[in-house]
Amino acid sequence: MSEPHHRVPAPGGGGPVPWARTGFLAFAALALTRILSPAAYRGAALEVIRKQIYFTAWQIVPGFALFVAVLTLVVTLIVGATARDYGLYAHALELVVRLLALELLPLLTALFVGLRTGAAMNTEVALMQINNELEALELVGVDPVEFEFMPRIVGGTLAVVGLTAVGIVIALALVYLVIEGIQPWSLPPGDFGNVVGKVFGVPALLVLWLKAIAFGLAVTVIPITAGVATPKRLAFAPISVLRGMVRLFVAIMLIEGLTLVAGRVV
Amino acid sequence: MPAASFAYGPLTVLLLESNAERRQLVAEHPDAVQVTARLPLRANLTVLENIAIVPEFRRGESPDAAARYASSLLERIGYAACAQLHDPDLSHEERFAAKLLRAVALRPSIILIDRPGRLLPDTHYPPFVEAMLAALKGEFGQCWVLDYVWNAPLYPHRRSSTSS
Repeated sequence: MSEPHHRVPAPGGGGPVPWARTGFLAFAALALTRILSPAAYRGAALEVIRKQIYFTAWQIVPGFALFVAVLTLVVTLIVGATARDYGLYAHALELVVRLLALELLPLLTALFVGLRTGAAMNTEVALMQINNELEALELVGVDPVEFEFMPRIVGGTLAVVGLTAVGIVIALALVYLVIEGIQPWSLPPGDFGNVVGKVFGVPALLVLWLKAIAFGLAVTVIPITAGVATPKRLAFAPISVLRGMVRLFVAIMLIEGLTLVAGRVV
Repeated sequence: MPAASFAYGPLTVLLLESNAERRQLVAEHPDAVQVTARLPLRANLTVLENIAIVPEFRRGESPDAAARYASSLLERIGYAACAQLHDPDLSHEERFAAKLLRAVALRPSIILIDRPGRLLPDTHYPPFVEAMLAALKGEFGQCWVLDYVWNAPLYPHRRSSTSS
């Protein structure tokens, strides 16, 4: 039986934040409310956001760029060669750009960050919960949602959006070189700009960035929620990560499916 | 009610006979800020950051002002050297100092040091805690130590004593 504790009200009143007792949607709503509150962006929280962006995005840019480059080359060569065989080479560029920029790269970026950062975040929050670190913070008047979770969600989401943008830029540059620049079957000059302009219409861009933001929220909120829900026994830490990761992959696929439908509608 | 209580320097020592009695006493004083083995420091923050986040979040102090305040508290008790260390790198004494200062940074009316023997297993803790709290005079209201009756001989200089 745990002993009762005095809970110091968080600044601004309202008593303790019931983060540990909420379900996923309620926690997500609470976290989003904090994200939209300018008062939450104080020094210590900003420092955690900076660290999160550094560890989630900046630190992995070289490896991620290499991954995107290899993926782009493989996909471009496969699609280009196949299209040429079927006499559809005129459509190859648009096909590759659509496939890579609008579908594959946002999805793989989310999976990349989910595997690397989401799992780490889930483990860290689970251990914080098991070791009473969150409760200790709350008891000295530091709101864990504001200090620990909100910065991770903001930093992680910005990292996913940023890495998606970096991936798209690298992919477009390589696609240009492979399809239009160095192949004997190159398209006529000017096609690249036209195709990119056609693929990245306003509705497609809207869906793309909404999808990237949704992926970013999923790879942060779901692992954090799974971590917070961990029973206070060390043996539950791996189970917490397992559950969080399964939920994350289901959510990523759902987002991908929904945005695919949305892309067709708009 | 504790089996006995007495003043020991700046402390009020409450001697208890059982864990159930200790829990009850804790529950009866929800206004007390606890220093206990059960509530650890944030592992990925330094000692300085663990203390500084309290004034920053509770009183809205700027990060620099909060860090200066935390640093001054560490200097007052002679533990400035551990300011940049993280929890796993701390000795029991340093960890106790960090937890105590985290509580002190709240400027509470009552600090409740829960079973100091668990926090300071390798130290003759009564004079150690007494000296530390004497150095922090004025930063908090009262400090209560919850200890078991069988540890009473560890407090050789008790000034007054009452029994229930």
